[in-house]
Amino acid sequence: MSDTQWDVYEVFHQSTRGEPHVHVGSVHASDGQMALLMAREQFARRLTCASLWVVRADHVIATDYQDESFFAQNTDKTYREPRGFVGPLKGKANAD
Amino acid sequence: MPTEALKSLVLLVADDELIIGHRDSEWTGHAPIIEEDIAFSSIAQDELGHSLAWYTIYEQLGGGTPDEVAFSRSPQAFTCCHLVEHPKDDWAYTIVRQYLYDTAEKVRLEAFQQSSSAPLRELSSKILPEEQYHLLHSRSWVERLGDATPESHRRMQLALDEAFPAALGMFESFDGEQQLTADGVFPGHQVLLGQWLGEVVSVCTRSGLKLPVRQNGDVRGQTSADTTAKRTVKRSWVADCVPEYGGRRGKHTEYLMELLDAMQMVYRLDPNARW
Repeated sequence: MSDTQWDVYEVFHQSTRGEPHVHVGSVHASDGQMALLMAREQFARRLTCASLWVVRADHVIATDYQDESFFAQNTDKTYREPRGFVGPLKGKANAD
Repeated sequence: MPTEALKSLVLLVADDELIIGHRDSEWTGHAPIIEEDIAFSSIAQDELGHSLAWYTIYEQLGGGTPDEVAFSRSPQAFTCCHLVEHPKDDWAYTIVRQYLYDTAEKVRLEAFQQSSSAPLRELSSKILPEEQYHLLHSRSWVERLGDATPESHRRMQLALDEAFPAALGMFESFDGEQQLTADGVFPGHQVLLGQWLGEVVSVCTRSGLKLPVRQNGDVRGQTSADTTAKRTVKRSWVADCVPEYGGRRGKHTEYLMELLDAMQMVYRLDPNARW
């Protein structure tokens, strides 16, 4: 028997305007508008909410967990991590 | 303002909300998908919350406390309509019933916003945004299931045929209604019925569902003065079937008896218990 489940939509929640939309979970729905309705119930009922996004899960382009080399950081890269200058006062405090 | 008539109006609204809220809660754990399980449970809580708010106004008008009124009255003292009493049945019936009810509530609350009664104005403004979401929810389902597949269409049409006469019972008149209309408390159930039919006919028709209605012979807007000007004619409809009345006069279905037996059982064990 074929899969009768509806599409999965990933849900992104924004608590106030200007904040980033944060992934909070997923819902099943027949289409995008129904997904928004379902997302409202599952994720915006208790949290304050300014906006919701839903994105069909198969529209998300993702990396493969198997492909570890994609994120490889094997050599020393501390030079990429500027921490700012250490001022005289700070330097003193650090020396103590 | 005649308090008794206003009390009757507030009570019938509260009773409708309480009973449909109870019916909606029966889907908790049983809805076709988990998302709807949560949605319906949440709507049930909203409806019960609204009933509490209306019962509180009823108490302020000199009625009993919300607990007494909800849990110790006999079925004959309830004035809910038959539509909300009917068992939840299948998903199609639940959706159709909820849609017909939500639309009526929207129409009712919008009318209350213009009321000469301050408590009605204030509470309806608080409740309306939640009800508009309920309506969006049930209408979205009607629009999709109405003509999704032959099976979904068959079930939805069957549910609509079943629910429609009882839905007309939402607009049954009650004692003192004319006085309230004269006092500007609300426009009266016949006016609300006309507004409700306008919305319901349009949504059902575009969802592929048929209703037993006919167009009103006296179509407003078609006066001799504007025969050339193509003004948008607001169609008005009348129901072409026998409404299921009785609820507003305390005559109920057997389903309400069963529901109240279950709902009031615990309270009746010890009405003075402190929770």
